[in-house]
Amino acid sequence: MADAALRPDLSLVLERITDGFFALDAQWRISYMNAQARKLLHARQDIIGEFWLDAFPKARGRLFEREYHRAMRDQRPVQFVEYSETAELWFEVKAYPSPDGLSVYFRDVTSRIEAQREVERTTRRQQALIDFGRAALAGATYDQTLLDAIELLREILDANVIDLYQYDRSSGAFAVVHSMGWESGAVVDPAAPPLEHLDYVVRTGEPFVCSDLRIDPRARSLRALEHCGVLSCVATLIGTVHAPQGAIVTYHLRTRTFSVGDVRFVQSLSQSIAEFSSAVESNRLMSEVLESINDAFVALDGDLHITYVNHRMAEFWGLSAAAMVGTPLSAYTARFDSEDSRALNFFKEALRDRRALTFEHFYRGRWHEIRLYPFGGGVAGYVRDITARRTEQERVLELNAELERRVDERTKQLEIANKELESFSYSVSHDLRAPLRAIDGFSQAFLEDYGDGLDRRAQGYLDRVRRAAQRMADLIDALLQLAKVARAPMAHVPVDLSALAAAVAADLGESDPRRMVEVTIQPGLEASGEPHLIQIVVANLLGNAWKFTRHTEHPQVWVGKNSEGEFYVRDNGAGFDMSYASKLFGAFARLHSADEYEGTGIGLATVARIIHRHGGNIRAEGAVGQGATFYFTL
Amino acid sequence: MSRPYILLIEDNADDIDLTRRAFEKNHIANDVVIMRDGAQASEFLFGEQRANGYPALILLDLNLPKVSGLEVLQRIRASEATRLLPTVILTSSKQEEDLVQGYRLGVNSYVRKPVDFNEFVEAVRQVGLYWLVLNEPPPTAGGGGM
Repeated sequence: MADAALRPDLSLVLERITDGFFALDAQWRISYMNAQARKLLHARQDIIGEFWLDAFPKARGRLFEREYHRAMRDQRPVQFVEYSETAELWFEVKAYPSPDGLSVYFRDVTSRIEAQREVERTTRRQQALIDFGRAALAGATYDQTLLDAIELLREILDANVIDLYQYDRSSGAFAVVHSMGWESGAVVDPAAPPLEHLDYVVRTGEPFVCSDLRIDPRARSLRALEHCGVLSCVATLIGTVHAPQGAIVTYHLRTRTFSVGDVRFVQSLSQSIAEFSSAVESNRLMSEVLESINDAFVALDGDLHITYVNHRMAEFWGLSAAAMVGTPLSAYTARFDSEDSRALNFFKEALRDRRALTFEHFYRGRWHEIRLYPFGGGVAGYVRDITARRTEQERVLELNAELERRVDERTKQLEIANKELESFSYSVSHDLRAPLRAIDGFSQAFLEDYGDGLDRRAQGYLDRVRRAAQRMADLIDALLQLAKVARAPMAHVPVDLSALAAAVAADLGESDPRRMVEVTIQPGLEASGEPHLIQIVVANLLGNAWKFTRHTEHPQVWVGKNSEGEFYVRDNGAGFDMSYASKLFGAFARLHSADEYEGTGIGLATVARIIHRHGGNIRAEGAVGQGATFYFTL
Repeated sequence: MSRPYILLIEDNADDIDLTRRAFEKNHIANDVVIMRDGAQASEFLFGEQRANGYPALILLDLNLPKVSGLEVLQRIRASEATRLLPTVILTSSKQEEDLVQGYRLGVNSYVRKPVDFNEFVEAVRQVGLYWLVLNEPPPTAGGGGM
């Protein structure tokens, strides 16, 4: 089979298959090669009979050699994929041995392999980006991050030389901040780099990709780099056209095509650096703020490890900030929490529930307020010494307790005073009346028994003694009522004011049938309060109206409610001088002489007291000779 | 003592005289026994030395020295022998508490002494007329002859 004398029909088949095929004899000489194989391997016409490794020296030491030998040694078929430097292609190879030799079928799988490799590279690039971002987030320094980026570019893009530039906004120029890979003695001065690619990226925001700078029309000045062996490059902008921050440039010592993935990788890296740079800037600002605040501050990651402490926090623990970063929170809460894990649990809760919370904690003789805020994947904590505030609070509490105690004491005293007042009222009611009754009674007895011997004047005197006694009895009763009103229990029930006024008016009419007073009561007047007390109000006001219309020709009294919701009792009687209006509601205040209109001077004081106990107001309007109106709310 | 008599429990001499005068003016001729404080009155009604029959009417002031009028009332109503005696509180007080307490203890009437003597005379007249004339006393009370 390995002989050159293949049967013609077999040869025909082998020439038609799309796989490359060749056969080797037992001495490893090429005995047959189909057209496809010749084409793929750029084989000479006279190759038949040649020792195969002489024909294809680049296969030496590769899988091809090892696998073919293994197949012949074991007399078992082999199958493998290997890059052929002869063909500059990837081949999938199947070799079938026989004692006579080896039959080899192979096919071009370059596109498949390339695709696979691209997938692998993409995965690797993505992983690299993720790792890079994570390292940046974990609090690596900006410089370290840049060095990481350089390392990644070298690894992923096989870059030989990498320059990192910073954009100086004021001069509009790039300056190298990191440079790696230039041979010492390179003719190109890294401090004065060719600028075509940098101009391009800062102008367009697009990456500058050059596969072969010898032939790229955009890269004329870059050709100077050829002297250093540089043949291709990629440049990308860090930042945006509007806010450029810098640039990354990778140089390669060979011509090469850059896949879309390669370019995207560099772009992503640039973006990460830009973001990190912004983060560094905002971190710097944040840090300035955090260092200037009075609170001790700690930032923790998702595992409750410290990522940042301000100097106050470091001072609190007597450590340096650097020594604390990276250590677990529990190392501190173990001391902060004397026995339980109270403080630690609050941190865990804030982290778990993603919610802000505040707690107070006593540590080393002082009170601390700790406010926790979830942020990013971790928690930030602000610690404030609130000992002074707590002391103040406690003092306030003590004062309050003291105040309460005093109020209690006063209340008790007041209760005693009230009791005394009650027994005083009782005495007044009982004991003051007894002598009055004696005055009246014995005056009467005197008149009856000895009146015949008295002249009219003497009798008149005795009459006046009796009237004075009666008046004093009335005063006592009125005063007792005033005192009683202040202590009477209060209920708030609906009261039909119209009906109440009508009943009072009827009583007044009956008590003095000679008087003809026209009373107009608005129907449906409703109030809420203590019925017994409201009865006293209405009786007093209507009684006054009755009394002060005594000398009016057509006495009229109105009871109603005005548009402001005030109840009113109006009469067309004697009225009063408004300049004395403020005196109306004082006890014993009278605007008329007792001879003109009798009265105790306590009625309106009692009314006002009742109204005020209901939380209402009372006021009066009037003019001398033109009647009076009393407005009140309940 | 065979005629029904009135027991006046009153400490104020003026009121005693005025009440007597009111009786006279109203032609109430019953004897009037006067006790000047609650302790005396209790002794009179419940004491060992008690020699008189029970009164036909007790007029009781509230504000009394030693034992108060309400306490006397309570004893009157607590004792089997006196619990049915017509008892009228005659006082200056019209405190709600006194009224409530008086009625709760079973007083028959509560009359406030008016300051005006004419009104006072009228009040005494009505009380006397009602309790001594119009009202039929309970069988064992004030019948005299005891």
